[in-house]
Amino acid sequence: MTVQAPHTSKQKRPFFLRRGPMENIATAIIGLGFLMLFQPFLLVLYTWSLVTLLTGTVLFIIVSKFPE
Amino acid sequence: MPKFRKETQVTSVTDTSSSILGKAAQATPAPLASRIRGISDRTMAWLFITPAIVLLLAINIFPLIWAVYLSFTNYRANRPNAPLENVGLSNYSRVLSDPNIWQAMQTTAHFVFWTIFLQTLIGFSLAYLIDRKFRGHAFWTTVILVPMMLSPAVVGNFWRFLYQPQIGLFNYIVSFLTGIPPSSFEMLGSVQLSPWAIIIVDTWMWTPYVMLICLAGLRSIPDYIYEAAEVDRASLWRQFWSITLPMALPFIMLAVLFRGIENFKMFDMVTLLTGGGPGSTTEVASITLKREAFESWRTGRASAFAIILFVAVFGLANIYVKALNKVKQR
Amino acid sequence: MSSVNSAHSVVEPGAMSKRIAASIVIAYAVITMIPLVWIFMTSFKSPPDSISYPPKIMFQPTLEGYCNLFTTRTRQTSEYIASLGTPTSTCDETTRSRNMVIAGPSNYWPRFKNSLLIAFGSTFLAVSLGTLAAYGFSRFRVPLADDLLFFILSTRMMPPIAVAIPIYLMYRQLGLSDTALGMILLYTAVNVSLAVWLLKGFIDEIPREYEEAAMIDGYTRMQAFFKVVLPQATTGIAATAIFCLIFAWNEYAFAVLLTSGEAQTAPPFIPTIIGEGGQDWPAVAAATTIFLVPILVFTILLRKQLLRGITFGAVRK
Repeated sequence: MTVQAPHTSKQKRPFFLRRGPMENIATAIIGLGFLMLFQPFLLVLYTWSLVTLLTGTVLFIIVSKFPE
Repeated sequence: MPKFRKETQVTSVTDTSSSILGKAAQATPAPLASRIRGISDRTMAWLFITPAIVLLLAINIFPLIWAVYLSFTNYRANRPNAPLENVGLSNYSRVLSDPNIWQAMQTTAHFVFWTIFLQTLIGFSLAYLIDRKFRGHAFWTTVILVPMMLSPAVVGNFWRFLYQPQIGLFNYIVSFLTGIPPSSFEMLGSVQLSPWAIIIVDTWMWTPYVMLICLAGLRSIPDYIYEAAEVDRASLWRQFWSITLPMALPFIMLAVLFRGIENFKMFDMVTLLTGGGPGSTTEVASITLKREAFESWRTGRASAFAIILFVAVFGLANIYVKALNKVKQR
Repeated sequence: MSSVNSAHSVVEPGAMSKRIAASIVIAYAVITMIPLVWIFMTSFKSPPDSISYPPKIMFQPTLEGYCNLFTTRTRQTSEYIASLGTPTSTCDETTRSRNMVIAGPSNYWPRFKNSLLIAFGSTFLAVSLGTLAAYGFSRFRVPLADDLLFFILSTRMMPPIAVAIPIYLMYRQLGLSDTALGMILLYTAVNVSLAVWLLKGFIDEIPREYEEAAMIDGYTRMQAFFKVVLPQATTGIAATAIFCLIFAWNEYAFAVLLTSGEAQTAPPFIPTIIGEGGQDWPAVAAATTIFLVPILVFTILLRKQLLRGITFGAVRK
């Protein structure tokens, strides 16, 4: 167990494979989806809010499996 | 350690963590060891967890999958024998381009935004004051907490009485304080005031919730940080912005997210106060959904709308659990 | 800021700041109580008193609201009422003074009984299933435990109306609509998520050494669970049970959509209480008072565990 530890910590994974930053991105997409759902300005944005919310949620579920 | 676990066929966390038991298991041959324990741990784990999961699958997940299926059809619950047609995504595209439902979303947004804003502001202030630990603060905290435990439907129904223009206590108190005649305004009947009527009741009910969580946040800040700030002669103002608020923030986020989820799907209190009226000024998403599903009986389209709401709540729930874990680590 | 030079540390705020804090908090608490006090007062008013202007703070208390709540009445001629002989109860007397006679019991008591049955039944089931599952998650290595726990929690977050559509259809197929059993199963499913999360926290706090010691003494794990873990978790189980009870007691959305008669609970019934010429507010207030009192008692009992309950066990204080 201890043999592997330094190996992984030296070679840091790129950010799109790490949990922390990707979760933040997914959270931002979900937030954007809510803004689109709630805004009173453009019907088009409202129409596409579901897709945005779905993308954010699916992304969140996937990246929460990634290692830190 | 992992090798040893394979040999003895013990899967429980407990056994590997305990050296005494581990040795006992090692000393006895495997069949005997498992007989001593009765049924194996793996069996027991599944035996214990399965009933709850099965119930949730039957009552929550199966209906949800059914709703997904219905959302692609033209099913109407009041005509169960009519031929069922697959309509593809048209239910979704209808819901997502319907100006009335869009309007309901904006009503919901107005309600969610202002309730969260007021509840966080008042709730945090109260928590900050209670954290001064004056005499009797425990008693008064309990008193403040009472409204949030009550039934929103039953209490919302009674608020309708308080909001009556001529005889209601609310109008009377407002007129007593401001001098406006009590029958000159209708909280529930006017287009301008009714969105605020539901915001007031929700704030009255749920401010204690935010307060309680904020209070936990404030109490989780260790004293020594303040003592250090005192040594540095940081002003109270500075201390508040650089210690109190940032350290309580995860807790505030937790409260805000949960209130956001709850108010996004708000149904009971608003139904009983205004029923969505006057017109559709207070028709929040859940009320529109209820009208679609149980008054217009467009079950297919209502299911599509329900799935949309569900996706939104599910997204928030993901973030909420992340916030929960963050707070748990504190 | 003068406090920089004050002798008090922030940990122990000054007497003046305490007094200001206390007065604001007490003022808020008093204001927040006004609607509840008003409900209580209205339940003892006569119908004319309850709708008088200005609202009456001083009034002659009467039990008319409670009488009207539990009875149905019919209007009769005064000759008929005079021929009835002496009234048998106070309720009889007040009803007759309004030129009416009691025709029979109202639906409030059956609805209240439904509430009791459904709330206690679902709480019992949810806590039993929840305790087992929580022990499983707490003590065994369950594959995908985090995902299962999230799945369990997310079922509680679902919008009730969204779930109600398919449940309505499913119950119609199974013949469970408007039955107490259907409501008990539904509330159990909603409550089991809270029960699992809360109880997992409580069971996590019980040291594993207790069970291990029992198992060395020859108990099976099952026996250890029943004889060691359960007694240790009593407080947690009780607190969880009260939370489930409060949810099932207060629930409205499912109840109004899925029950209409036989199995209707009190929350959808109370708004439908009407007298002659609109809502009979003293009777509504009486119903509300009777309905809220158990919750008030529970809130006081629970005040130490409240925080834990509303954060699904995340904040333990």
